Amino acid sequence: MYKLIIKLAFNNAFIRLSRTILVVIMIAVSMSMMISLQGLYDGMVLSMVDKTKRSDSGEVSLYNKEYRVSKALSDNITNATQIKEELLKRQDVNAVVQRLEADGLSATAKKSAFSTIIGIDLNTEEKFGGFSEFLKPQGELRLDKRGVLLGSELAKTLKIRIGSKVIFSTQDATGEINAIALRVRGIIQTNNISLDASALYVDAKVLAKFLGVSQNVATQIAIRSDSPTLKTELTQKYPDLDVKSFLELYPMMKQMQEIMVIFNSITFFIVMMVVFIGIMGVMYVSILDRIREFGIMRSIGMSYSLIRSQIFLEALFVGVLGYLLGAVLGYGALYYLENYGLDLSEFADGLESFGYSSIIYATTKVSYFSSTFLAIVGASLLSVLLPLRKIKKMNTIEVTKVDI
Amino acid sequence: MFSLALKNILYYKSRSITTFILTFISAFFFIVYVALMDGSHNSMLQNSLKVYTGAIEIYKKGYRDIGGNEYLLGDVSEIEAKLEEIEGIRSFTSRYETYGLLSSREYSSAAMVVGVDPLKEATMSQLEVGLIEGEFLTPNTSNCIYMGADLVKKIHIKLGDEISFIGAASDNSFAADLFKLCGVFKTGAYEFDSSAVFMSRSYFDTLMYSQNKASYITISLDNLNEVEKIAKEIEEALVDETLEVLTWKTLMKSMVEAMEVDSIFGYISMSLFFVVIFFVIMIFGFINVSSRVREFGTLRSIGLSRLDVRALLFYEIFILSSLAILLATPLGAYIAYYFSVHPIIIEGISETYKEYGIVSDEMPFNFDLLTIAWNVGVIYILNFLSILYPMYFINSFKPLEASKHV
Repeated sequence: MYKLIIKLAFNNAFIRLSRTILVVIMIAVSMSMMISLQGLYDGMVLSMVDKTKRSDSGEVSLYNKEYRVSKALSDNITNATQIKEELLKRQDVNAVVQRLEADGLSATAKKSAFSTIIGIDLNTEEKFGGFSEFLKPQGELRLDKRGVLLGSELAKTLKIRIGSKVIFSTQDATGEINAIALRVRGIIQTNNISLDASALYVDAKVLAKFLGVSQNVATQIAIRSDSPTLKTELTQKYPDLDVKSFLELYPMMKQMQEIMVIFNSITFFIVMMVVFIGIMGVMYVSILDRIREFGIMRSIGMSYSLIRSQIFLEALFVGVLGYLLGAVLGYGALYYLENYGLDLSEFADGLESFGYSSIIYATTKVSYFSSTFLAIVGASLLSVLLPLRKIKKMNTIEVTKVDI
Repeated sequence: MFSLALKNILYYKSRSITTFILTFISAFFFIVYVALMDGSHNSMLQNSLKVYTGAIEIYKKGYRDIGGNEYLLGDVSEIEAKLEEIEGIRSFTSRYETYGLLSSREYSSAAMVVGVDPLKEATMSQLEVGLIEGEFLTPNTSNCIYMGADLVKKIHIKLGDEISFIGAASDNSFAADLFKLCGVFKTGAYEFDSSAVFMSRSYFDTLMYSQNKASYITISLDNLNEVEKIAKEIEEALVDETLEVLTWKTLMKSMVEAMEVDSIFGYISMSLFFVVIFFVIMIFGFINVSSRVREFGTLRSIGLSRLDVRALLFYEIFILSSLAILLATPLGAYIAYYFSVHPIIIEGISETYKEYGIVSDEMPFNFDLLTIAWNVGVIYILNFLSILYPMYFINSFKPLEASKHV
């Protein structure tokens, strides 16, 4: 019997081919557009989060209690190397970097700009966040005695090129104004607004010497880790330090992620509501068109539950077909956007100055497909409840006489 | 034909109600969404213009690209005399910007030190309005400086404290002096408040040897929409190939581009809703038409042409769309207008997004009748497009075939 029901449902689902094709196209186009947009927006935020962690904060960062407010060199972590070694011994820590920073003024012969000099070790930065990936073409990743890597926006402000000289002036540990002449080896683009706009990366040892501090001193220790409890544990272990998680350091990112979740949920809900209305319209008319057919089926002894199953199956066939087509189109679009990205180079200046890449890559999550599947199945099943009610209430004799 | 369309609308209620509701929702949300998006963009741009950047700025060619003292404006008073003659300019002033290191007893920071005419500057920017402590500059204040609140925090000073300055004068000689903190301002633009320092030109010029020189002249206008026209007039009046007259669109190119991208993404998001709604309206139109094949067959048999059938369907969608739009437009427009006058306030948004140039917690809407008109136009076009396939479908039947259709 169920075989017959399935066969009837399948045939009836495509009996009015134009209508069914329209509904299938509607589901497929809206679904593929929706998941492409979700993937693109999530990709933008994830890329910002990923690059910010890799270029700056990691999952957790340690500072002197006063440093984030004062930004003063004197508010540093004096035993940074020792802490770094302790952290590296932990199983739940993937990588650690210590950095030394000082705010000051960068100047060429013609231009000046506010900047932050950051002492780094290229090898540990590479392990920490794949630093070499931030290097723009043409330059080289080399920090010799006078070598400097410049943030991309700072390089634009200073109108500087690879090989140009830049003078950085700041107050050293003794309070004296000190200056260092540096040669640009490369341009770094991290898509972290503040770093791109102000960072000069130099060798950590060179900077420590220039600022007159020990090589054990750091202003920040950043940690890569997958452990959700690391921050709590480090807060207890280092009560004299300011232990901050990524989201505490970048509350904007948290807000952006939340906004994206809300936006995607609203989009999902509205699109599915409209899809539901579309399927319901078609199913309602399709059932009304065949009301006499259902009357005859009831008259010859078919139970209401079997008719209900047939109608549910009809709706499911249409919904699932639309879903499958939408999934294929959506996956194709996501595959393209994930691998080739959306090229917005025409707006590169604007995007980069706001921390975005000029090519935006999407991300693909299984949840895009699973949640959409559930929603479409749900919408398909719900869409036939109203016509089913009509069938349940119908008078079999009268219905078989209806002239459609 | 019109009255027949009206009767059909009343007869086929479910299709009419669905089309009406979906059109209403589309039009209403489109108007409100675009008003919010444009409003927040305008607000960011206007805040930036209010804080410091002028609607038009005059530079010597090369100053922005190459920089250096040889690209300073030379004869400022002559340029200013020409600007006096041009209508539409509300006010203008010259500024001399230089970068240097400011140091208190223990702390130092790089800063942009700007020599300004205090009286003219007060009419141009938010500097005087932003005063939070001490006093604003006067033309005769000597070594007084007026400093951004975040920079004051950074170098740990208070009113009356002395700060040393090291920089370069306009003749590339070494310039150093002791300043006194006389006033503190806060505009809300974080980068600006943490780096800018102002001095009265009368004292600044003696330190920098910058009499009648300037980095640029900044100009504010009575009407920002006339910016291109007035920029052209200024170019014609100056008759100097070594000068360039730049509007805010060039001066804030990055911000303008970022807004354009944001708008593009906004419209892409909206297009998703439109596509779905378009399909649903088309499906309901198609269902409606396909259930009326026999009716159309009869109409064709009694003499109606294919064109008449098209007109009938066009009138139906036109009446439904117009009714929905007539209701949605004033409602959407009212909301846009209301929130343009009483902006939505989201506490803390300016602090969170300070690096993005957001200086206010207010999110005003943009009320612009032309924008509302094209929003409504888009919805009309989409609705008309949605009826094309049903039109094609019904006209593919021959009258006799249609009148026998089951």
